[in-house]
Amino acid sequence: MRRFLASLRDGVGFDILLVGAAMVFLLAMAGLPLIYNVLMSFQQVDMFTLGSLIRPWAGFQNYIDVVRAPEFWMVTRNTIIFVFFSMAGQFVIGFALALFFAQNFPGASTIRGLFLVSWVMPGLVVGAIWSWILAGDFGVLNTILKSLGIIQSNVFWKSDPSFSIWAVVIANIWLGLAFNMLLLSVGLAAIPRDLYEAAELDGANAFQRFLTITLPMMRSTIGAVLSLGLIGTLQQFDLFPAITEGGPANTSTVAQYWSWQMSFQLYDFAKGATISVMMLVLVLIASIIYVRSTRHEVRG
Amino acid sequence: MKLHLTGLLAAVSLGAMSLATPAFAQVTLKIWSIDGVDRVGIADTFSKEFDDANEDIVVEYRAIPFDDLVNETLRAFATGNAPDIVSFDNPDFALFSSRGAMLDITDRVAASSVIKADNYFEGPLNSVSWDGKLFGIPKYTDTIGVFYNKDLFAKAGITEPPKTWAQLTEYAEKLTDPANNVYGATFSARAGEEGTFQFLPIIQMSGGGYDNVNTDGAAEVLDLWKKMIDNGWASKDVLSLGQWDSTGTFNSGNAAMAISGPWEVDRMVEDAKFDWGVALLPTITEGGERSSALGGFDWGIMSTTKHPDEAFRALEYFASQDNRIFEEFGSIPARSDIALPVTGVEKKDAALKVFQEQLKYAQPRGPHPEWQKISKAIYDAEQAALTGQMSSKDALAQAQTTINGILGK
Repeated sequence: MRRFLASLRDGVGFDILLVGAAMVFLLAMAGLPLIYNVLMSFQQVDMFTLGSLIRPWAGFQNYIDVVRAPEFWMVTRNTIIFVFFSMAGQFVIGFALALFFAQNFPGASTIRGLFLVSWVMPGLVVGAIWSWILAGDFGVLNTILKSLGIIQSNVFWKSDPSFSIWAVVIANIWLGLAFNMLLLSVGLAAIPRDLYEAAELDGANAFQRFLTITLPMMRSTIGAVLSLGLIGTLQQFDLFPAITEGGPANTSTVAQYWSWQMSFQLYDFAKGATISVMMLVLVLIASIIYVRSTRHEVRG
Repeated sequence: MKLHLTGLLAAVSLGAMSLATPAFAQVTLKIWSIDGVDRVGIADTFSKEFDDANEDIVVEYRAIPFDDLVNETLRAFATGNAPDIVSFDNPDFALFSSRGAMLDITDRVAASSVIKADNYFEGPLNSVSWDGKLFGIPKYTDTIGVFYNKDLFAKAGITEPPKTWAQLTEYAEKLTDPANNVYGATFSARAGEEGTFQFLPIIQMSGGGYDNVNTDGAAEVLDLWKKMIDNGWASKDVLSLGQWDSTGTFNSGNAAMAISGPWEVDRMVEDAKFDWGVALLPTITEGGERSSALGGFDWGIMSTTKHPDEAFRALEYFASQDNRIFEEFGSIPARSDIALPVTGVEKKDAALKVFQEQLKYAQPRGPHPEWQKISKAIYDAEQAALTGQMSSKDALAQAQTTINGILGK
């Protein structure tokens, strides 16, 4: 008994205690809801059974219904556009800014810090601001583009089916830019300076240095940034109700917004769960990539 | 010594607290509604009055934002913490009444000397009925019509408001003035309940209903609306603007006609710097069938209540105050036995006369337990047609297929 207590204070028991606390927390806060969600996607759910665990079994019917819904392919297309271009925009511009601020010029780190403003703003506020910027008849962006002579008549960013998803993509790139830039800056700072000096002595130009030193050295950081970006983009919800509400005609509805709509606007909780399970599979793939890229980091 | 004093004070205040609680048994009623979230409304005011007037009843009133009300109530009902009385938007009511979540008050109403079913307009009363039984009473009602800018009409040489949708489109073209940022017309075809609210009346005018949306008349009007948007006689933003924002452009003189309801009148009296009037919603053919949207909230008692008698007394009190709701809150009572008082504001009184006339043609959305899904099929079709993704006919046909699936046909 005393040995047990002693090991609790200092030894294997202490380790197990700490790990156990984390495991219990994870199980209660993430594991159970996850299982509950998956379970719900195979059941028939209505308001009377909302509080119970045992419900009529639906098999794959919810999945079949979701795939057969008229908006399914539209939502899939939008989700792909939203995820791919948001991530690409955030990453490319974020990387460019990170490289720019890695140069030594007066005020570099201060200005870089200011970019964090976009990151700390709540998504709904960002959405409301972009909603004004992108407004059709009296929008800020339209006024600027018009006075520059780039467009002749107003572009209805929020109401034109060919622009609506791009309106949200633009806002999301702005929102996620700072996060990407910051993580990539950290990666850049970790690259030893002497590598660059040696390469310079060997006569490598800036472009060659970027391709042969920066990119390979940043591999794990880039992997982490991209997979976190994928998760963050698939989570992005606030911008949709604030800017387009998924419209017009579902042209800017993405999977996460659709799932919310099913559960909390149409009160079809089973289908909402079904869509989120489908997304879960995607996020799982991203998580695997993320874990592998960080594992690489630990090994050195 | 100081400690003693504090202790004494605590004892005294404890004593005072127990004295303040009345000795006899009290019944607690939980009442939920959206009133009181952003401004004082019917439910919070009357609940407090009812609380004050009844020694034996304590009212716990809770204001819940519009978007959360149904969700919150669903969750509360599922976990056994439902309120005693709740006030829903009328299309949401059937979701609860059809599944036994609302108390059947048919017999209580029949025996009541305050609430008489005959006094209510047919549309609002339908929204609280299910399976021939009464599950609640209407709280207030509203509908939509056409606001028109009389100054711009005069400038364009138009003397009368439009009588048909074809005429409305024709006038919209004449009234459009891009140089001055004036659109001919504005309405709300948003992807949401507001879109259905404004479009379902068209389906009803054409002889259809929520269960039969694929009509020639509805497709015809949808084509007219698309024509207005395509030609710039109406802003493309009608696809994303709600009614309040859409009518805001009318108030600022940027649209010559606006489709909306009586809730706009007070703001319009303030904001609009021109002469305006209201007309009945146009029909598809001249002198054709009329219809309009039916808005407004309903009161109901939840079936899980432990105090149905006291809850019904509260409803009786609310109903007895219906004659005050127009003056104090600008809401129109859903009753034919209450005459609206004259406010003295000429445009407002004229507008309300038209809306009262319009209410005779107002038809409820549903009632159906899965209304939200039916509504989505309708506004999805409307948007698909207006954005040109599908022809009006195809969009309505697709909506019909979806709705048939929901109705189990």
